[in-house]
Amino acid sequence: MTGFARYVARRLALMLFVIWAILTIIFVLFKLLPGDPTAIFVDSNFSVEMIERQRALWGLDDPIPVQYARYLGNMALFDFGESFFQNQTVAAILFEKTRNTALMIVPALVISIVLGALIGAIAGWRRGSLMEKTTVVTALFLHSAPSFFVGILALMVFSYQLGWLPPGGMVSLGGPETLWGIVTSGDYWQHLALPCLVLVSREITGPILLLRGSMLEVKGSDFIDILRAKGLPERQIVTHAARNALLPLVTYIAVMTGLLFQGQVLLEIIFAWPGIGRELVVALNDLDYPVAQAALYVMALVTLALNFLADLVYGVIDPRVTYD
Amino acid sequence: MTDTAVRIETSRPRFAKRRPGVVAMLVTALFIAMAAFAPFIAPYGPFDVAYDTDRAVVALSPPGWQNWFGTTNQGMDVFSQFVWGARVALIVGLISALGSVLLGTFVGLVSGYFGGWIDEALMRATDIAFGMPFLPFAMVIISIAEPSLALVILLVIFFLWRTPARVIRAQVLSLKARPFVWAARAAGASDARIIIREILPNVLPLSFLYMAIGVQTGVMLEAALSFLGFGDPNVQSWGIMLNAAFRAGAMRTAWWWVLPPGLALSIFVIAVFMITRAFEDRLNPQLRAI
Repeated sequence: MTGFARYVARRLALMLFVIWAILTIIFVLFKLLPGDPTAIFVDSNFSVEMIERQRALWGLDDPIPVQYARYLGNMALFDFGESFFQNQTVAAILFEKTRNTALMIVPALVISIVLGALIGAIAGWRRGSLMEKTTVVTALFLHSAPSFFVGILALMVFSYQLGWLPPGGMVSLGGPETLWGIVTSGDYWQHLALPCLVLVSREITGPILLLRGSMLEVKGSDFIDILRAKGLPERQIVTHAARNALLPLVTYIAVMTGLLFQGQVLLEIIFAWPGIGRELVVALNDLDYPVAQAALYVMALVTLALNFLADLVYGVIDPRVTYD
Repeated sequence: MTDTAVRIETSRPRFAKRRPGVVAMLVTALFIAMAAFAPFIAPYGPFDVAYDTDRAVVALSPPGWQNWFGTTNQGMDVFSQFVWGARVALIVGLISALGSVLLGTFVGLVSGYFGGWIDEALMRATDIAFGMPFLPFAMVIISIAEPSLALVILLVIFFLWRTPARVIRAQVLSLKARPFVWAARAAGASDARIIIREILPNVLPLSFLYMAIGVQTGVMLEAALSFLGFGDPNVQSWGIMLNAAFRAGAMRTAWWWVLPPGLALSIFVIAVFMITRAFEDRLNPQLRAI
């Protein structure tokens, strides 16, 4: 096996181990939940026998190890059962909510990465200029400000005071439901504008600071001097430098996506965006445990998968990295 | 040019570089004073309800002489809540930062120094901690137990220890291969003595850095959890104020209720972040060169 294949195998094994550990933690947590799931689900006029039958049907009378094994099997196959209240399978609900979350964060990510990389590269190249200083200070402020308060402010100003944009939701009531229908409707883009702006205001700071830093590093390297000695115009030198400075950004993107995916719950609540984070909050309030459990699992899974991807991508794009 | 002139020339940019850190420290000191003297500054208790002469609740009154920052929908004084909130923020920030850094430093030292199966076990635990998204897990755990400030702090500690643990372990790995550690061992020092006397002093600056980061993150996470409705209902924190304001629709009707907690949170967090930056700058001069 080559070094890289061994590295991938080790990372994969580690990820599977962590997934198993997290699944076990989730299992224990939901066993600790107060009350019996039947108590929430079952009507108070149900007789004791009916409750017993329901318990048996759900497998709640089986020994814990049997329940645990069945749970692991179900989770591995994404068979999350049925919601207590919504007449749908949990998998169907979560698939839709995850898609909605993606509909919020993907546009924000694209804008943040492209615009942020551009601004960062220019700032790094023009070290010491007023533009560079302003950019860095602004980025540091936006980076450390609590984004949910920025969201609240944006909502107060642009929706309630100025009335320019809708105050919440992903599409208006009775709007399109299919993915294609949503992205081609102007309604969705109007609803997206505010949360997207708030997300970009924070997420863009990462690429800006990263690109500025790596641009400074590249700027001092020998090949830039050679390009300059060759008499290349400044514009082309910048392009060459930027291409090399982009390397660290690629890994950062995967990590950033993971963080965004688990951190967007606040903005989903503020903007009433029907995503997976909001679904978890709603499910916990409604005591809809199958949904809450699976939502927790899916959110952890996405984060882990993206971190794994980040490790892989780094190995592929940077030939200087060795694995021994 | 005289010697003095040269010195002034070179010292000016250094001061300019430090200025954000100094301002941030002053701002933080202000918050600390507010938290320490909250009973003297806040005109009312955090849950006191204001009544007018007809014994009616003064709900949602705009800022004025009686209530500097106005009142909430339940007739509570926003300014008082804002002041008391600093106390909660500092308690959460300091305790969770201290706890997580103690735990992280301990894990990092033991893991890095002893290596072998101890290292393996501790690092896999860190990997698991890194795989658990904070807000979702914290919300579920708080739903299982009762919401309380102590639980929030514990959860924040559990979330924060992982990064210092990894960073300090890496530092220890490099330190333990250096000659002064061999020398100590050759002189017959025990493992405990080497860790405490030789290695710990060299990782302490890192621990302090993570302590500052911990204060910032701890305050943010408490505010976020409280905003989502998972905070301790028996205290008045900025996050809980924002939650109440949000649920009452104050963003539409009562800006005076939303801005104080939100701005306090933002300014405090940004100030601590700037201190962290300044500290990082001193700790790692390479950053300054870039």
